[in-house]
Amino acid sequence: MAKADARSGQRQTFRRSVHRNLTEGGGFIFLMLLPALLVVGAVIGVPMLRALEMSFNSIDFRRPAMAGTYGFHNYVRLFEDPDSWSAVILSAIYMFGTVVGSVALALSAALLTRRIVRFRAFWRVTFLLPWTVPAVVAALVWGVMYDGNFGIINRLLDHVPFVTGANWLINRETAFPALIVAQVWNEFPVAFIFILAGLHAIPEELYEAARIDRARAFQQFWHITLPQLRFILAVVVVLLMIMGFKSFPIIYILTGGGPAGATETLTVLTYNTAFRGLDFSYAATLGILAVIVSIILVLGYLRLVARLQDERGGQ
Amino acid sequence: MSWSPGWVRGHWTALFRTVALCLLGMAVLFPIYWMLVIAITPTGFSRSLPSIFPQTVTWQNFTSLFADRPMARWLVNSIVVATLASFLSLVFGTSCGYVLSKLKFRGAGLIMIGVLVTQMMPGTSIIVPLYILFRDVGLLDTMSGMVVGHISLVIPIAIWMSKGFFDRVPPDLEASARIDGCTRLGAYFHVSLPLALPGLAAIFIYGFVTSWHDFLFAHSLVHSQQLWTAANGITSFRGQYFTLHELQMAAALVFALPVIIVFVVMQRWIVSGAMTGSVR
Repeated sequence: MAKADARSGQRQTFRRSVHRNLTEGGGFIFLMLLPALLVVGAVIGVPMLRALEMSFNSIDFRRPAMAGTYGFHNYVRLFEDPDSWSAVILSAIYMFGTVVGSVALALSAALLTRRIVRFRAFWRVTFLLPWTVPAVVAALVWGVMYDGNFGIINRLLDHVPFVTGANWLINRETAFPALIVAQVWNEFPVAFIFILAGLHAIPEELYEAARIDRARAFQQFWHITLPQLRFILAVVVVLLMIMGFKSFPIIYILTGGGPAGATETLTVLTYNTAFRGLDFSYAATLGILAVIVSIILVLGYLRLVARLQDERGGQ
Repeated sequence: MSWSPGWVRGHWTALFRTVALCLLGMAVLFPIYWMLVIAITPTGFSRSLPSIFPQTVTWQNFTSLFADRPMARWLVNSIVVATLASFLSLVFGTSCGYVLSKLKFRGAGLIMIGVLVTQMMPGTSIIVPLYILFRDVGLLDTMSGMVVGHISLVIPIAIWMSKGFFDRVPPDLEASARIDGCTRLGAYFHVSLPLALPGLAAIFIYGFVTSWHDFLFAHSLVHSQQLWTAANGITSFRGQYFTLHELQMAAALVFALPVIIVFVVMQRWIVSGAMTGSVR
């Protein structure tokens, strides 16, 4: 009798400890993490590893007999290929251009709408609207507007003296900036939301104190607004860097990488190598290169931010 | 009313602000206005519009969208996929973000970085292996496959954002709930989740828009026309030799409308959500 009691007591403590583990301890952590990590691991992690494997293989549909030949040949080709280097540089310029453009536009829009009282919701929605347009559609609209013969941009420029329109997407010099403008228009609302939220979080007393000290608007911006926005700007820039580096639909639809490779960023080159060149192994290698380059750029940027904060005494 | 220098300067700045705001707003709105103008132009005439104001107005593009093409079907697909994907990402992502924010355990930093790295892989370079994987497990050309794919796009951001929200929930609140006998799970459901609610709304919107707009996965992982999402449907007006701009812009506007409505209704939440997430 006493034995049975002890056993059921043991079972109870066991059950209780399992319950405790699942609602409090390591089991809880595991169960809460599992679904998210499982999906990300399966859908992105596994293909990433698969791409890594492919990058050492030779899966090229124009030379099917080569499949199964493993080696470093794709990486050797990567270093010798001038296209891959120019693609890395173009990706970096594109990323830089879209980050600077988006932050500048979002910051001006947020500063101008911050103290607005009337039509506040209207202005907010106005600056959020480009985000409702998917990149694919944004590319199509800008394509119509950029058109050399019929595009509205050239038609409007006809009315401006001393300025002539251009074949925006066909000229080597104008194609790349034109793409950056379209991309900035499409993605700056993301930065706008974050910066506006950050502005509203700055305590009003700081500005009142500055006004008593008769600080000019620019001085207020430089000594209060910017330092207070530091953290949020750092987050926004990382987000925009990743978005800009990965950007595909706008470039692909508007120029497809042309004219003559002038806009062939790493993502577009990867796509063209895979789906036009049918060399899937080399495309995978380019994808690995893209990951490495973007990790270097993002980590480098984060280091820079950390160092700047240290210099300013941190906070 | 005195014409003191300060008064004059103040009004000039206000005027300058208003003019700058209007100019910026017009520049930002112009492409959307132009979409509208093209969408109400009779098919085939948008290439030679004489002025920036619409001359002839027709609604035919909108009606033919629903009459001749399965636009309604595509929209329903988009709504189903985007709702499921953003809801599931929210549930999974926030629980992950909560654990990463509130509990100290080894490997937490590694998980945060690992999740961020998955976001850096350009979609174009994982699409081939993903296609093979989906084919092998039978998710190719199915709605559930699309939902799973979109969850993987949204969850990493959901984890990062929700960790930010939970970081802002004061630890004392949870501590006192736990003294009252709440378990970790109980404290999560009854204390932290309700406090992070505006932020969760922002995550849901972000996920919805990401899934709604996704083109690469939608285009590569689903072939059957009746399973297409609207993002995929819109590009079908872009032919190999010529493009039906008017129909396409009409479709784009119809496609953007649900998101615009969500934004108008929830703009306050979007801003405050972004705020709770990332301002420290």
